[in-house]
Amino acid sequence: MSTLAQSQLRETFELNIGPQHPATHGVLRIKVVMDGEYIDRAEPILGYIHRMHEKMGENRTWNQFWPNMGRLDYLSAIAYNHCYAGLVERAMGIVVPERAEYIRVITAELNRIQSHLLGFGAYIMDLGGFTPLMYAMDEREQILDLLESVTGSRLTYCYFRFGGVYNDIDDDFITGTRAFLKRFRPQIPMYHKLVTGNVILMDRLIGVGPVSAELCRKYGATGPVLRGSGVNYDIRRNEPYSVYPELDFDIPVYKECDSMARYMVRMDEMVQSCRIIEQALNKLPEGPVMAEKVPKSLKPPKGDYHYAVEAARGTFSMRTVSDGTNTSYRMRLRSPTYSNVSLFEEASRGMLLSDALAFLGSLDPVIPEMDR
Amino acid sequence: MDRAKIKRELEKLAAEGLPAEQPQEVAPVAVQAEAEGEDKAKAKAKKEEDVPRKNGVIETEYAKRGTHLDVQINPDQVVRATEILDGEGMTLEMVTGVDWIKEGQFEVIYDYSYPGGQLFRVVVRARVDRNKPDVPTVCHIYGGANWHERETWELLGINFVGHPQLEHFLLPEDADFYPLRKDFKP
Amino acid sequence: MGTESIPTAVETAIPPALVQFHQLDQLRMLARANSLWPMTFGLACCAIEMLSSGCARFDLSRFGAEVFRPSPRQSDVMIVAGTVNKKMLPAVKILYDQMPEPKWVIAMGNCAISGGPFAYPGQYNVVEGVDSFLPVDVYIPGCPPRPEALIEGLLELEEKITGHRRWPRVKPETAVKG
Repeated sequence: MSTLAQSQLRETFELNIGPQHPATHGVLRIKVVMDGEYIDRAEPILGYIHRMHEKMGENRTWNQFWPNMGRLDYLSAIAYNHCYAGLVERAMGIVVPERAEYIRVITAELNRIQSHLLGFGAYIMDLGGFTPLMYAMDEREQILDLLESVTGSRLTYCYFRFGGVYNDIDDDFITGTRAFLKRFRPQIPMYHKLVTGNVILMDRLIGVGPVSAELCRKYGATGPVLRGSGVNYDIRRNEPYSVYPELDFDIPVYKECDSMARYMVRMDEMVQSCRIIEQALNKLPEGPVMAEKVPKSLKPPKGDYHYAVEAARGTFSMRTVSDGTNTSYRMRLRSPTYSNVSLFEEASRGMLLSDALAFLGSLDPVIPEMDR
Repeated sequence: MDRAKIKRELEKLAAEGLPAEQPQEVAPVAVQAEAEGEDKAKAKAKKEEDVPRKNGVIETEYAKRGTHLDVQINPDQVVRATEILDGEGMTLEMVTGVDWIKEGQFEVIYDYSYPGGQLFRVVVRARVDRNKPDVPTVCHIYGGANWHERETWELLGINFVGHPQLEHFLLPEDADFYPLRKDFKP
Repeated sequence: MGTESIPTAVETAIPPALVQFHQLDQLRMLARANSLWPMTFGLACCAIEMLSSGCARFDLSRFGAEVFRPSPRQSDVMIVAGTVNKKMLPAVKILYDQMPEPKWVIAMGNCAISGGPFAYPGQYNVVEGVDSFLPVDVYIPGCPPRPEALIEGLLELEEKITGHRRWPRVKPETAVKG
């Protein structure tokens, strides 16, 4: 078609998706300019669940800010606990006992499996298959039981403390975790049999939503999105924290850059998390779970500090500016899905609307974490 | 990614931005050594500018700060610094604004990391006058800066010159306040 | 934003009918209470627990309330699961107004009840309690409430609708310790 004819035929209209829409994983709103069935411009609009976390960081003392860490990304809250603990420990120079670090890793990886399971189930539900969600939630409830037995909550964990963890794990937790791993390992091939080989799913995912490594770099996308674009980047490996350097695990990387690659990265990460938990349980040392001499009222020295961890959705990092008082002067939270979804506008141009929603699901956004 | 090259070029850039009326303090090496005594320098500085830290590059200890290079430049040099870091394959992780109300300044902090394997974090900071907070945008270099700058504008009121869409983002469309400013009262 | 022009629920309450059919109404209410259709209206953390309660293990369909509808026009009960902020408030109002009568509201979680952890002096963006603009029937405390709490909340709502409780109330001291 010549450009002249194209411009004459071209007639766009606006479509509003959200903020209350089942396909947007919460209260994300997308303003789409459609050219027929194809997307001309899709602009995500945020802020429908902006909860002032950064302002609260300035108003509350360092200890009072803990509960907020469970409510940012409620699906992988332990990683956020880990980042905040690491940040303040870095600022204060607190050394954490080794047992506490192992417990942190075990709980964080259980939490990551749980998050990917829900991501898997909800993503397939977006694409129209309801059954896998039931399977995924069945496994997920078992992880939640385990985590609840040590942390005391099901979702919004506030388990870590500066200098360790709040509660030691007991033998029931260890045997329960081992039993869970034994049961869960064969489930993943079963999921692949149930879902991944499905022709409809493959048609909807393979080749859809291409995100190149360069696009990821320009937008700061991390996590499974970046690793699905062939970049081997994982904070656990590239910027080692906690006891991850002592554990042997692989970083799943797929070079296809499409939604299927991102889906497969998440599935493979669950297997790797199982490996990490198993090793950490074997290596778990005896000892205290809290550092001694952690002051009640923390006053980190002046200056600014940065800490990054690998959450289930990518790099979560915090930058705090301390002015030497018992509250933070500025608390900046860098949420991974904020950067991951920011490339949606550029990457979804020219896509079919139904494909764009499959693509958005493969970015696995958690909206309260984006809005903060 | 070449660490030494990044450091060299950023040092050169920062040295260009030093005020010309103090020619005896131009050498960036001297600035590095002086940075430890930042607080004393702040107490001394009673000039109209009242800058707590001179422009320059500091190598920070990663285990303590979480960054390797800490660069302070003038706001009009932000785009050039971004081009240097972009050319080396770094990625912009976040943009932070800080309200230094006592000094009458805003600080814009850019965090860079390297996704290629080696661990290298650079933080670039620039200070602007609080009454005229104009910083050039880096959206055209890093697409991801768009949302970060828009958010910083919305929460702190730092004006990113040349930004394609400085509209309300997280707050309601009719919000007429900057909540993260230190003098903000609800 | 024009939020003032949207009439609140209290103003739009339907006046009672001139002729009452009490027995028939009770029968209808019984039918309604046994198949409440909640709206899929997840805002934040509580939405995940709402999802959990509808899935394996908790299985909300035992109580007839598993049909989560994405459209407000097909649902009976709005479960406000999460924090409502000032940008979201007009949308929640519109969604409520789009629901057909009779309709009920459950405030799930501390955020929906009072603003929860985000309510503090000097906050700028969170609506402190959905009961400031919606008529709430059942409050479910918790941050987030467990799925069992949501189920109990729905049973409370049933009791409110029909006037009697369908399922025996479990006393905490007699509950089986698992």
